[in-house]
Amino acid sequence: MNVNILFLYPDFMSLYGDNGNVRIMQKRLEDQGFEVAVIKRTITDNDISFEGIDFVYMGSGFESNRNLAAKHLAQFKDGLAKAIDDCVPMLFTGNSYDILGKGITTADGSFTDGLGIFNYTFKEQLEKRYTGDVILADKETGDRYVGFVNRAGVPDKEDDLAYDVLKVIGNIPLKKDSVKKNNLLGISLIGPVLLKNPKIADSFVKIICERRGTEFKEIEYPHSLKSHVKTLKALLDTDI
Amino acid sequence: MKIRVFTAIVVCKIVRCLAKLFGRGSSLPGKYALKICPDILSNLKLPELSIAVTGSNGKTSTVEMIAHVLKSNGLKVAYNKEGSNQIEGVVTFLVGDCTMGGKVKSDVILLEADERYSRYIFKYFHPKYFVINNLYRDQMTRNGHPEFIKSVIGQAVYDDMTLILNADDPLVSSFGKDREGTIYFGADKLPTDKAEHEGIYNDGKYCPVCKKPMEYEYYHYNHIGKFKCTECGFERHDTDHTLTSTKEENGKASIVIDGKYDIPVFFTGIYHCYNILAAFTAAVTAGIDPNKAAESLGGYILKSGRISDFTLGKLDGRLLLSKHENSVSYDRSIDVVVSDNRRKSVMFIVDAISRKYYTSDSSWLWDINFEKLKGANIDKIILAGQYCDDLAVRFELAGADESKIEIFEQVPDAAEYCAHNLDSFLYVITCFSDKEKILSIVTRRELA
Ligand SMILES: [Zn+2]
Repeated sequence: MNVNILFLYPDFMSLYGDNGNVRIMQKRLEDQGFEVAVIKRTITDNDISFEGIDFVYMGSGFESNRNLAAKHLAQFKDGLAKAIDDCVPMLFTGNSYDILGKGITTADGSFTDGLGIFNYTFKEQLEKRYTGDVILADKETGDRYVGFVNRAGVPDKEDDLAYDVLKVIGNIPLKKDSVKKNNLLGISLIGPVLLKNPKIADSFVKIICERRGTEFKEIEYPHSLKSHVKTLKALLDTDI
Repeated sequence: MKIRVFTAIVVCKIVRCLAKLFGRGSSLPGKYALKICPDILSNLKLPELSIAVTGSNGKTSTVEMIAHVLKSNGLKVAYNKEGSNQIEGVVTFLVGDCTMGGKVKSDVILLEADERYSRYIFKYFHPKYFVINNLYRDQMTRNGHPEFIKSVIGQAVYDDMTLILNADDPLVSSFGKDREGTIYFGADKLPTDKAEHEGIYNDGKYCPVCKKPMEYEYYHYNHIGKFKCTECGFERHDTDHTLTSTKEENGKASIVIDGKYDIPVFFTGIYHCYNILAAFTAAVTAGIDPNKAAESLGGYILKSGRISDFTLGKLDGRLLLSKHENSVSYDRSIDVVVSDNRRKSVMFIVDAISRKYYTSDSSWLWDINFEKLKGANIDKIILAGQYCDDLAVRFELAGADESKIEIFEQVPDAAEYCAHNLDSFLYVITCFSDKEKILSIVTRRELA
């Protein structure tokens, strides 16, 4: 059976090895017995369709690129909104989930409209980067996620945000992070989030199997799990 | 002279003496001086000639080469040694070189300028020449990303400075847009160039000015090459000084600048060539005769040992020093391995990502073109250190042959395995922060 991954802006929003998330999903879906097609759509394309898509991914970019991507993706907003309502699993990492809110005020004061799926707006500055290692916690499930945040802005309100920021090693003025709607997850962590958080990868793969009516096979990924455990321990043990 | 300035100078000099007495070189003296007089830099009488150098890679080597050329040509040079390129360090070394009256004694001030801190330092004084060598993905846990670095360097650029820019790096070169009197350096087409982009990501894909797609005639490495925007016309600028060729025959290497200045070099790694070219351009722009600049650069032996040869049991090996969190430097080391036709093994060590700060961010591993190792006559790939699991996943998804991969959490265990199980040449690729973990085990050999 064939599944389709839609990789949004792979050459325009790919600042921190974000390609790793797509590669990890592809591998895991292949391990489930799927044939995987990765459909790439970028800023120069004028057709982005969410029809028949099983997984959507978008990574981080320069703030200027992200604003252009927001404008570009706005043309295909209806398709995206429908796919979210249809429970298509999606992952937005780093500063790409900023565009799912009402908009972004960039450091020069200009405002870029967001896609309006959530209610926050992000406000950015140039004085410093908000960077650091973090542990995020899902209060509902008790799950903890680890990784690195590297962004220029913070949201104006946190009502929509799903996870608590449990620990920060670095400089990130966030108390909460991440958005969830149906099977969409937007998370500030950068890079190959699915490597250090295999649980997120697992849950996406499970959902895809369910949606395609195939049985999910439990497969172990020991290196990924070890990486998670080691990183979580290191972050818990590190003094701030 | 303001009493505040005088006090700051005196305190700075005393603290510096004390620090020296206790064998501690630090930027503490500058810190005290800045507390007493925050604008101390604008109160010093500086020489006419000052040169600052910044960029993601090669700042220290470039500054050392410029210092060497200027000194060999009879100038007295004050410059900040490695690690003191933030404002406290700059104050420390400048006050260290000045009279009680605040007059800097040297003929030239040469500054290795941190990408992020130049904007604070140059508030108080403007170097006459500002060299920007390259901008790419480097230590992004601190630096954010290249475009952020470009904007903060932009805050350090003033109209009264002359910029000396790498024409082949689009992001760097864009500093010269609409700016008169800018000096450019760059390389002509070289035999090692590629027609197609190589690498996991391409930071030259879109124009830094208008964000529309760019086209390249050739790539020297990564996104460094001859580019042209398809939309706004922004393109590689003509150069004032040019690397025209590189030669390597019978173990002797040399490069030619401007078609006539022959410079014997230790090796012709493209990185190193750009540093030499930047140093040559800066020195000549500052008034040194080009023949003399070339002559003193030729006599200069690179001190920073990027390469160390060693033996491990019966194995011969070579350490290629790279930088963690810098995929470009890893890509260059992988090029060295790939261009060696022997059967060989490679060990990658990622144990502490930085020696200066804590982070567990390994996302940069996904920007390195490990895929290139496929089909490179590799015997074994050894992944070692705390981050061996992150490496393992990366290599699996790079399509590496599983049977060739060995994984060790501890570097000594990895070394032990190699000593007892390998019979091929061993490359070790790692960073400053991790190199001692292997060098303390192997027996080092001097380079012939
Ligand atoms: Zn353009």
